[in-house]
Amino acid sequence: MLFNTPQFFAFLAVILILFYAAPRSWRKYILLAASYFFYMSFIPKFILILLSLTAIDYTAARWISATQSPRSRKIALIISLTANLGLLGFFKYYNFFASNIAFLFHQPSDAFALSIILPLGISFHTFQSMSYVIDVYRREQEPITNPIDYALFISFFPQLVAGPIVRAREFFGDLYHWRRPTNDEALRGLLLLFLGLAKKMVLADQFAQIANGYFRDVTRQPGMVSAWSAAIAFGIQIYFDFSGYTDMAIGMAKLLGFHFPVNFRRPYLASSITDFWHRWHISLSRWLRDYLYIPLGGNRHGRLQTYRNLMLTMLLGGLWHGASWNFVVWGGYHGALLSLERMWHQVSGRPETRGNTRLEPARWTIWYPLQAVITFGLVMIGWVFFRAATFHDSLYVLHQMFFVPHGTQLIPRWERILALGTLALALLEEKKEWFERIALGPAWAYGAVCALLLLSVELIGFTEVAVPFVYFQF
Amino acid sequence: MASTSTKQPSVDGPTPAHAEAAHRVWPRILAIVFFFTAFEGILFHTGLYSSIIEPDSTTGYMELQLRNEIRRPKPDRNQVLAVGHSRMSLLPRVVNQEKPGTGYTFASIALGGTSPRTWYYALRAVDPNANNYAAIAIPSVDYNEPDTYDYLTEREMDLHYLIARLELRDIFEFPWTYRSKKLQWQIVRGILLKGTIYKRDFIEFLDHPSARIAKARYYASDSAGWYYGYGGMDKSLAGLQIDWQHKTMQFPASIPENERKEIENVSFPTLPPDQGRETAYLRYWYGRIIDHYRGSGTKLIFMRVPRSPTTPPDTPLKLNSAVRQIASLPDVVVLDGRLFNQLEHPGLFWDGQHLNRDGMEQFSRLLAGEVCRVLGPPK
Repeated sequence: MLFNTPQFFAFLAVILILFYAAPRSWRKYILLAASYFFYMSFIPKFILILLSLTAIDYTAARWISATQSPRSRKIALIISLTANLGLLGFFKYYNFFASNIAFLFHQPSDAFALSIILPLGISFHTFQSMSYVIDVYRREQEPITNPIDYALFISFFPQLVAGPIVRAREFFGDLYHWRRPTNDEALRGLLLLFLGLAKKMVLADQFAQIANGYFRDVTRQPGMVSAWSAAIAFGIQIYFDFSGYTDMAIGMAKLLGFHFPVNFRRPYLASSITDFWHRWHISLSRWLRDYLYIPLGGNRHGRLQTYRNLMLTMLLGGLWHGASWNFVVWGGYHGALLSLERMWHQVSGRPETRGNTRLEPARWTIWYPLQAVITFGLVMIGWVFFRAATFHDSLYVLHQMFFVPHGTQLIPRWERILALGTLALALLEEKKEWFERIALGPAWAYGAVCALLLLSVELIGFTEVAVPFVYFQF
Repeated sequence: MASTSTKQPSVDGPTPAHAEAAHRVWPRILAIVFFFTAFEGILFHTGLYSSIIEPDSTTGYMELQLRNEIRRPKPDRNQVLAVGHSRMSLLPRVVNQEKPGTGYTFASIALGGTSPRTWYYALRAVDPNANNYAAIAIPSVDYNEPDTYDYLTEREMDLHYLIARLELRDIFEFPWTYRSKKLQWQIVRGILLKGTIYKRDFIEFLDHPSARIAKARYYASDSAGWYYGYGGMDKSLAGLQIDWQHKTMQFPASIPENERKEIENVSFPTLPPDQGRETAYLRYWYGRIIDHYRGSGTKLIFMRVPRSPTTPPDTPLKLNSAVRQIASLPDVVVLDGRLFNQLEHPGLFWDGQHLNRDGMEQFSRLLAGEVCRVLGPPK
């Protein structure tokens, strides 16, 4: 039951009605039942994994808080992390390691392979679960006593399969102090729901056809124009796909009285790679920073250690996205760019761009357009590794992008205009916050914008089949 | 969280100060419904979009035919209109040359690939009050109406021919004439949200809007003349021999190999057991056409079109076929099934089913003569 299907909207409508019609004490049970129903609508048997991890992490956190013995606390933490990483590792990475071992022993690549289907959302809910147990271990989070509450935290359907990765304190703050969303919140939620749907079906799914067509056989359309247009098409696809999903998730949560963290803030307006990572998949960046980069030492132990930590964090972040060397290279590429940027700032003595960690709009200087274009180009190069089927394909596409003139413009004119239109909207949002102005503006403006979004889905949205969200595979 | 702060952070940026004001939800929900209905209605329920639809498309062909016929001057009711598919071979240009003698003006909105369901809606579009025509000529391929593997009931294509002409009231009938639940849902959605059907066309329009508008205008102004001037194919199957008993053919050397297979396929089709499915379908849609013209004085003239390059052997009469059942109704005329047998000659066909130029001209004259005989002197 994908978000972009009529079935899901019917499901959501039923849940909203039940949720608000039911006595308050029933509501979390309704949400939990709905979440498990939603999860089981994909592959029912994987509910057992979700339930097992929920039970293990709930118990581990209770154990950690109940005992004062450092050794017992550590054992409980290790059990929890082993369960999460073990299951994640098996389902997501077993075949990757098996094929590499087969390669080392000169065996066929599938010599040790197993037929494994990746449980939906496992990368997200394991990270969410681990962050909770670690926070309890660090005494930054009180353990949750009610297993129903904890189960709902792990399985809450708007963010179960593709995030955003929500912190326990954020979620339980909403759950324990729940209040009916204000009209403004409900209006924002509804607008986000429509905006996300339009991002997914109008933009992502249309550009996906171009990217899929090119990357299915990269040799069919040689030349730099083809390669760049395919990379850009994929860049547009993945952004609107993922941020569309996130908008819908945040919108749904708002309608239910929950508040998810911001996950994207117009990343293609970033003026540097550092800035990009403060704008792209923010909840993952935040997770990697708090549970990997900082525990590794962060930037506290000198330059070389900082570069090493950045590289390690990004390599693992890359691997989190998928079990292939392409994702490792993609992560390494971004780690290297982040390190180079840091090095440049240290060598040049310029103050380091802090990005927009405090939700500040980009500081536009005379150099900003050039910086943004260079950053955009570097990110698009990275997407080649992310999207290409093999490492060999990635190298082939990069060779085309830089050394083979000519080629075919793959993006039709109307989609180029559409992309420029969205760029204009992004710039307007960055400076003028049109979203808020519409969400809280006059009824006619709100109605017209929502109607236009829905009309765009009707007219341009890819509706022949419901295309799964890209991040569902992670 | 929700309780710790009354000022929620914006999902996509900082919250402006004016965000604190409470806004009513229902006026905004109503505004969404109002604007969506208005946009949808203006675009797709006023004929605005169908006037710029790709002319070389299923919907475009149908719209051109219907618009041309609606625009055609009809100074009196002595008009005869042919509906039908590609085997309705009436050439109005040929028979209208004899108008001084007959007193009737002939026109055609026949279109390849259409079926009786589309003919009903096409007639409703060109003659909403059932008072434009003295007669409507309606083709039948076989008065026995055997079932075929082409399930007319489930033809999705009909939706595409008719989308511009379907109105909200049709939601109570049109979708339910299909049996497949999936198609029913798709059609209900298509009638309510026409953009879902126009999608591909709209995307093509976005790519070259000015070229599309120019093309649509050009077709709108000139296509009536092209259709009227159409003379038919010059090819013929002269020399073809068919042995119906042994289902074999002897082809003249002039017919290429790929065409031979196709001629064989259409001449000796594999048919499923006749369960009356085709008859039930025809009974329904002939019935709707008859209902539309009931009491109007318009004659509905059914005819069996030439079937094949040589006359196939007779098959036992199916007395309860739709066309034979309606033959006794007032203002319904079912022409003798053998009327066009004389045209079932290889020299008058260009493929296994369709008449060539000579065949069409002869068919037109024969049909016009018979229609004039049925109608009597013009009023």
